[in-house]
Amino acid sequence: MVSPIYIVAAALGVGFAIGVLGKLGKNFSGILALLTIGFMTFVSSEWLYAFYVGNQVPTYIFTAGFKPPISINLLMGPKEAFLTTMVNFIGLLGGIYLFFNFGRKGRNAYVVYMVFLMSLNVVIMTRDIFNLFVFLEISAIATAGLILIERGNRAVGAGFKYIIATSIISSILLIGIIFAYFYTGTLNIDGLVQAHLSTTATGGIAVFLIMIAAVLEMKPFPANGWGLDVYEGSHQGFSAVVSVATATASYYVLYKLLAIAGPVGSQWDYYLALMGAVTFIGSNLLGVKQKFARRLLAYSSIGQLGLLMLILGLRKYLGDNLDYVVLGILITNLFAKTGFFWLAGIVKAKTLKEWAIIRRKPFFLFLMGTFVFALIGFPPFPSFFAKWTMVMNLARQGGFGWIAVILIGSFLEAIYLFRWFGYAVKGEDTYKYDFNIRWHKITPIVILVAALYYAGYLTSQYTELGRMIDFIPLFFVLVLFAIDFLPVAVKNTIAILGMGTYFYFIYPDLDNLRLIFEVIFMVGGILTLIAGYAYKGKRSGFYPVAILMYAGLTGIIQAHTTLEFFFGWELMTAGSYFLIIRGKRSMPHALSYMLFSVAGAYAILAGFGIANIGQAFPSLDIMNNIQYFPNWAYGLLLIGFLTKTASVGLHIWLPGAHGEAESDVSPMVSAILLKAGVFGIVLALIGMSKSDFDLSALAYTLGWIGALTALFGNIGAVFQEDAKRLLAYSSIGQLGYIVFAFAIMTQLGWLTGFTYVINHFLYKAVLFLTVGAIVLRVGTHNMYEMGGLIKKMPWAFFAVLIGIIALSGVPPLSGFTGKWLFYNAIIEKGWYFQGVIAMFAGGIAFLYLYRLIQTIFLGQLKDNHRNVKEISIWFLIPIYTLLTGILVFSYEPQWVLKPLGNMIAQYFPNNGLHWEGSYAYSHLGYWTGAGVAATVSVVFVIAFILLKIMTRKAHKLEQFDIVFSGERPERPETTHIAYNMYAGFYKAVWPLTVPLVERFWTWMSDLVHETAGFVRRIYSGNGQAYMLHIILYIIILYFITIGGNI
Amino acid sequence: MEYLQLGRISLIISFLLIIIGFWGILSQKNIIKIIVSFTILDTGINVLIVSLGYLKGRTAPIIDASVSQGPNHNVLNAIVDPVPQALVLTAIVIGFGVTALLLAYAMKLFKAKRTLEINQFNDLKW
Repeated sequence: MVSPIYIVAAALGVGFAIGVLGKLGKNFSGILALLTIGFMTFVSSEWLYAFYVGNQVPTYIFTAGFKPPISINLLMGPKEAFLTTMVNFIGLLGGIYLFFNFGRKGRNAYVVYMVFLMSLNVVIMTRDIFNLFVFLEISAIATAGLILIERGNRAVGAGFKYIIATSIISSILLIGIIFAYFYTGTLNIDGLVQAHLSTTATGGIAVFLIMIAAVLEMKPFPANGWGLDVYEGSHQGFSAVVSVATATASYYVLYKLLAIAGPVGSQWDYYLALMGAVTFIGSNLLGVKQKFARRLLAYSSIGQLGLLMLILGLRKYLGDNLDYVVLGILITNLFAKTGFFWLAGIVKAKTLKEWAIIRRKPFFLFLMGTFVFALIGFPPFPSFFAKWTMVMNLARQGGFGWIAVILIGSFLEAIYLFRWFGYAVKGEDTYKYDFNIRWHKITPIVILVAALYYAGYLTSQYTELGRMIDFIPLFFVLVLFAIDFLPVAVKNTIAILGMGTYFYFIYPDLDNLRLIFEVIFMVGGILTLIAGYAYKGKRSGFYPVAILMYAGLTGIIQAHTTLEFFFGWELMTAGSYFLIIRGKRSMPHALSYMLFSVAGAYAILAGFGIANIGQAFPSLDIMNNIQYFPNWAYGLLLIGFLTKTASVGLHIWLPGAHGEAESDVSPMVSAILLKAGVFGIVLALIGMSKSDFDLSALAYTLGWIGALTALFGNIGAVFQEDAKRLLAYSSIGQLGYIVFAFAIMTQLGWLTGFTYVINHFLYKAVLFLTVGAIVLRVGTHNMYEMGGLIKKMPWAFFAVLIGIIALSGVPPLSGFTGKWLFYNAIIEKGWYFQGVIAMFAGGIAFLYLYRLIQTIFLGQLKDNHRNVKEISIWFLIPIYTLLTGILVFSYEPQWVLKPLGNMIAQYFPNNGLHWEGSYAYSHLGYWTGAGVAATVSVVFVIAFILLKIMTRKAHKLEQFDIVFSGERPERPETTHIAYNMYAGFYKAVWPLTVPLVERFWTWMSDLVHETAGFVRRIYSGNGQAYMLHIILYIIILYFITIGGNI
Repeated sequence: MEYLQLGRISLIISFLLIIIGFWGILSQKNIIKIIVSFTILDTGINVLIVSLGYLKGRTAPIIDASVSQGPNHNVLNAIVDPVPQALVLTAIVIGFGVTALLLAYAMKLFKAKRTLEINQFNDLKW
């Protein structure tokens, strides 16, 4: 084992050698420096490995032949080994990235860089507080020097602000140190810890000065203008190293010095948490308003520092898990933030919008996506597991306020990172300049991305819960990424086979409840994938993300623990986000989808956290036995799931997201994806049905939400000109019915719910596939631009006809089954008022459904559609397979409903349906699927024949039978009956169509942006103002911490 | 005269210097003056370190003729605390380095905009 002292010796030795020898070539000096950093990395990682294997004990390294407190000593423990390894590893990659940038400044730049890394190593390892001060100063001086490798005035200004701010901070530290020495007679950190300085009033001031200096090194909001400027102004290659390596060292300084301030749970913990919370939320809030990429990264970095400070302050709550949480957050930040800064250095786009150029090289988009998702804490990255562990622990210890702080801050970060990513994926790319690929700059980033994925896997395997997660679907996603260069047909086949095989292996293990949803997800997924054969070319990036969504969906079905469920949930969210953003005009809708999803996921996370209180093991069954705050737990879970089902108030993302998506994506995200939310609701309601608490108020509220959603969704659908948006609004309405039905919490109610789930899956998939395929043929979403397509697309017409009959709930198709059960359940439950609303909503559904078939297929064919063909056979196959499903479910509903009833009887044993053959009896009456179907068919045929006979002489209307007055309307579509078709109806219900919810969310968004815009003006750019901030921060904190206690 | 012993005087002076330093840093607009204020602050801290280590009636911790080295005489009782003395040396060196760097930056800043007013260097903000 090489002693860590050689880290210092090697850096100094080589540094002096390069200086003394002088004549060495620049590149040679550079390579020598890199080798030295490599050696430093080797030493620290050797120690890390020894600790990891477990045959190593923490070791003190003494210097100068004396023992402390006379001399300085270093400590190499597992934490030090890990942190120095990380610093040196990032430093090594940074050295490669910056190799030629240093070279331009001469060989001394390499020396300074080496000394900079060495000083961070010592800062981490040292146990002597004065030594700590010295090496903090060395690192500050080195940093100020290295900032200048970036040319231009901005770097010089930033460097000056930095050096003067750090000088003030270290002055404070030095005063604190000397007072601490004065009262204790030692400079050794361990000695200071034992001296219990903070127990005396005067010692308390020494502690205050030391702690405030350590806190200020972490760039707390708002005394951090200088830090922001350094991240923004210096070379992005170096900003990365400062933002993560220095930050890591600063974190550890705070960690070490916190021991001096007092034991776990002392007052300083609370202050740290408070300052961390202010920084985390403040930085991320101001980031929301930011338009420039570099500065945005700076805000994000400081937000992460705040999070680390917050976590450290919450160590009382985290207990033994502190290290795990810190490790997860730290390692994600290390790899992702470094990579992001370096990426910014390559892309060189200034504003967020200009980042659209990045997708010219799709691999870069993949890199950026990895960083964004890692920073937000999506699986499989380490931060995901850290966040989960943190929330579980905080909830268990009653730290609910802190959970809110962490989730709100993370959400703010999600806003700007996903907006940025949206620009990159879908923003307008109208920029002339391009960016170059240089291998020495790309390689470090690629290494970091690989490390990020691997670290995520390792983090998951570290805990028992994490080891239970099934990574096979995720691995399949990676395979699909790797074969993305293949043509679409090959990838489609592989995807279908993969999903089929997986389904074949897992379905025997599923109970009936899960089987229903799994069939919808997997079989439905395969059916919609078949439509993919209609596409030509490569369809880059489609299959990995589609399978990512299905991997998430099957993940939530197979989940045994809350962690697995949340893991699957987040994968599904990520995959569906990518699917949605593929649409042509999807950028804003994908963003709002993502933000609602992230917020919903956080609600679920918090709900799981509360559910977990007092439980031995976080299996998914804890939802059936929530012991504390059940209303909160179920309420949060339900809110989370309702964001996915797009219930009223949380629905504004859906119309755009589903309407603008690609033709085969719309059915995936509508017919299939929405059921994930339903599955969650079902799980929560099962738990509520088993709970010992009275949760009827919650169910009652849920019922109202469902009824209102049905009403507003359907009204919204009536006034759409866009066929896909019409279907999207219709989904909102249908999901409202489903939520309402489940909220009834009786056997009939649930039977209704499941019937609607199956129905909605079948007919919405049919309708979206058909309309999507038509859109592919005619090139427009607007219904008034279509018409008369019945002759061109008879198969599509028939599919839509069956689809709308089923959806409208008239006999003979399965929609009527749902309606019949629905009214039975409502009457039995006695929810008459809500029932009337739902019935009214059902009437409105006729309006939009009629419009769908009338304006697309009937009337006059448009001139430009004279040559359109029937929709693609690859769409017709899944459509007609699903139609068969509808017909079977309509004529023989007992095949499905009987076993379903038995399953539901586990939860609600009473008042179910009673079956005799194909006759179903409730206590209100009876009904038979086949009988109704037969009756209606007979009536239809008779009426049809009669009509045919009576209208034999009718004149067939041709296009040129139309006579008009020679006036040429300015907007010709306004003369079309299909345009604004229900204007009359609009006059009756317009108050219900006022987009109050949209206005509310717009207002919220404006509020956040305006607040951010106002607060960020404190960063005036004046270095002196920043120093004033630091001093004021110290004074205010003095009053908060010590105040009048002296 | 009890109030005017050496340790107390130097302590008061050190705090005065620190306060003057902070005042200068916050109030002066000229970068050179800010740097000078910073060195005043530094000096104040150095004096503070020394005066906290001062013990009445003792001499510098240099073992030479001024420290009697009789057999029954513990050297440690004749000298002031040596650690602050060592610290102050280090602090002076660091202060020197930082000041040099600040002056170098001042040069760069002047070259960039032909002015030393700190208000003029606010390219990075918000």
